[in-house]
Amino acid sequence: MDDPLYLLAAIGLMALITGLLRALPFMAGHWLRHHPLVHKLGGSLPMAIMVLLLIDTAAGQAHNHPGLPWPEVAAVAMVALLQWRLKHTLLSIVAGTAAYMLMLGG
Amino acid sequence: MKQPSRTLSLASLTAPVAMGYIPLGAICGFLFVQAGGPAWLAVAASALIYAGAAQFMMVPMLAAGLPLSTIGLATLVLNLRHVFYGLSLLNTLPAVRWQRWYVIFSLTDETYSVLTALPAEQRRQRIMLLSVLNQGWWILGTTLGAVLGGQAHWELNGLDFVLAALFAVLAVEQWRARQDAFPIWVALVAWAIAQTLLPSQALALAIGLSLLAVAMRPGHGIGSRAPHD
Repeated sequence: MDDPLYLLAAIGLMALITGLLRALPFMAGHWLRHHPLVHKLGGSLPMAIMVLLLIDTAAGQAHNHPGLPWPEVAAVAMVALLQWRLKHTLLSIVAGTAAYMLMLGG
Repeated sequence: MKQPSRTLSLASLTAPVAMGYIPLGAICGFLFVQAGGPAWLAVAASALIYAGAAQFMMVPMLAAGLPLSTIGLATLVLNLRHVFYGLSLLNTLPAVRWQRWYVIFSLTDETYSVLTALPAEQRRQRIMLLSVLNQGWWILGTTLGAVLGGQAHWELNGLDFVLAALFAVLAVEQWRARQDAFPIWVALVAWAIAQTLLPSQALALAIGLSLLAVAMRPGHGIGSRAPHD
């Protein structure tokens, strides 16, 4: 993190890719909306990717401490349950992260 | 025509987003600076990228000095969902050209969900100011967190769990929108296969496998949610 050029290049690249993804439906919306494969991917792919990112991130966290990944499982379950019942993103994230930090530190 | 239905004030629309974006932006800026990045770049990221999950994800990647290609690919995959948001808002953009581009650039999960909660005829007139305010909260939060993170080194073991928590929240919201277990099973099986075959590139391989499985699934588009299969 001590090479500002590298950081700036990464941030610029991420901004470019994110911006293009956001602009794509507005530039090619007609084509995208009428393509059956896009509908298929739009229906299921976001969920599959989110589950993969969740497992991968939680598994990465679990590698930072010895033992089985119970803190990760418990905290993720807590976040999911809170979000499902209360629909309050900040509360779910803060409560789950605080519980996780307590489980690691306690 | 519907009667002029309940008009929600701008404050009531942006306040819940502010309550989420200021603290989460602060954690994001804090983690970036604690990892050794300069505060101005944390703020620049919030101004230029403006995608929470991607900005949380980039901190460990940048700290590990991963190649730009890896970071770019991860961003592509993570933000792919934005393509499908835009598709449902095609007809609600502001008329003024530069406003239209700004709204497109700043379409986040939260702005999208607030917009879709509004009656369609109110969206076009509110979308611009709402987008500006929401990004304002995010930048404000990041700045606060970056300043705080620059004061001292804090021992906050486990704070980076916010990224996993954010993914869990987004997954729950996907489930709420479409209660379809197929993509979850696809993801679990793909991850198990990828972990066995290629543990060093498990995520990329698992995403590729999921893409194939979803593409090959017979007859399941956005519009076809009827239980006829």
